[in-house]
Amino acid sequence: MTGCLEFRRQAGAEPARSGPEFDAHRRECPACARYQDELRAMDALMRRALAVDAARLALPKPRAAGSGDGRQRWYALAASVVMAVAAGLVLLTSAPRESVAREVLDHVAHEPGALTASQPVAPAALAGVLDPDGTRLRPGIGDVSFAARCVHQGHVVPHLVLRRPEGAVTVLILRHRTVDGPLRFEENGFAGVVLPAPRGSIAVVGRDHPDLEGVARQVFEAVDWGDTIPAAG
Amino acid sequence: MNRGDPETDARRRFGTLCEGLRPDLLRFAFWLGRDRQLAEDVVQEAMLRAWKSFGALEDETKAKSWLLTIVRREFARSFEKKRLEVADLDALVAAEAPVLAAEDDGDLAAMREALFRLDDDYREPLVLQVMMGYTTQEIADLMGLQQGAVLTRLFRGRARLRHLLGLAPESAP
Repeated sequence: MTGCLEFRRQAGAEPARSGPEFDAHRRECPACARYQDELRAMDALMRRALAVDAARLALPKPRAAGSGDGRQRWYALAASVVMAVAAGLVLLTSAPRESVAREVLDHVAHEPGALTASQPVAPAALAGVLDPDGTRLRPGIGDVSFAARCVHQGHVVPHLVLRRPEGAVTVLILRHRTVDGPLRFEENGFAGVVLPAPRGSIAVVGRDHPDLEGVARQVFEAVDWGDTIPAAG
Repeated sequence: MNRGDPETDARRRFGTLCEGLRPDLLRFAFWLGRDRQLAEDVVQEAMLRAWKSFGALEDETKAKSWLLTIVRREFARSFEKKRLEVADLDALVAAEAPVLAAEDDGDLAAMREALFRLDDDYREPLVLQVMMGYTTQEIADLMGLQQGAVLTRLFRGRARLRHLLGLAPESAP
C-alpha cells in the first residue's frame, strides 16, 4: 500500500510514473492526485524552458563600427571584400600563422580523397550538403566533384571541391569562424584565401593555382547566402 | 562523392552524427555550466576528443550517451582548469539574460531563472530526465550514481523548484 509520503516521493522523482499501487493511491487521495498533476504541469513548463533555441546559444558577434542596419552593413562588407580582392589580397604571411589558416590546411590535408573524386555530385546531394546552412551554389562556377558535411574544429561545415579549368579548388563554408578581413596563406604547395562572409567566412584552397584570389572572388560571389542577414548587434 | 575512402566515410558518419546531436549537447552543456561561452568551448573540445576516439564507438546508436559522457568529462576538466567559481547567481542570471528571456511568457522566463538558481546536483539530473528523456537508471549510469541517489536528487530538485517558483514552501513534498 502506497502512503501519501511515499506517493509524493515517487511522483517528485518521476511525475509521469504509473503503476498499480501508485495509481490506486492516486484514485483514493485527491490531494496527492492534484500534487502529481501540478508536478506534471511543472515538468511540461520545464521541458519548454530547457529547450532553448540553439540559435540563442550562439554568442553575439562583435558589433561593427558605424551605424546602419544589418543589410546595409553587409553590403558595405561585401563591397569592401570585393574591392580588397580586386586590388589583390595582401599577402599577410608566407606561413599560416593564423589559426584559421592552419585549421583549413589541416582539414584539406586530412581528407585527400576529396581532391581525387572526379564524378560530378548530383544536385540533390549538393543541396543536402548546403541546405542546412541556408546556402546555395549558383550554377556556372564549376562542377562540384565532392560535397560533404564535415566536422571541422567541432563544427559541421560544408566541404566542396570545385573542378575549374585552372584546377580543383577546395571550398569550406565556415559559418562559425569570423575573420576581420581577407587572409591569404601558403604552405607545401597549397595556397588558400579566407574571406569574410555574411555568416562567418569562406575558405578557398588550391594547389599551384595561377590566380587563386580571382577564383576565391568568383566562388564568394557564386554562393547564395540566403536571406539571413546577420542580426544587428 | 568519394565513398570508398574509409577516412572520408568515417568523417561523414561522424559529421552526420554530430550535426544531429550538437544542439542537444550544446543545450546540455549550457544548463550544466550556465554559460554560453563555456558551453561552446566544452562542446567543441568534446567533439574533437570524440573524433579522436570515434573508432572505439562500436554501436553508433549509443552515440548520444557516449557524447554526453564526453561532454560531462570535458566540462569537469574545464571547470577544474579554469577554477570557475559560481559565487554570484544574480550576475550569472544577468549575463545570460538573452537566453533566459521568453517574450510574452513570464512563466517560461521564471522557470529558466529558477533552473539557473538550482544547485548543480539537482539541475543536472533534471536536465537529463526532462530535456534528454533518460530514465533514472540511465541517469545513474551517466552520472556514476546509484539509482536511489538519482531519485532523491530528482525529488529534491523538484521540491526546490516549486519553492523557487513560489508554488510551495521548501519543506513541503
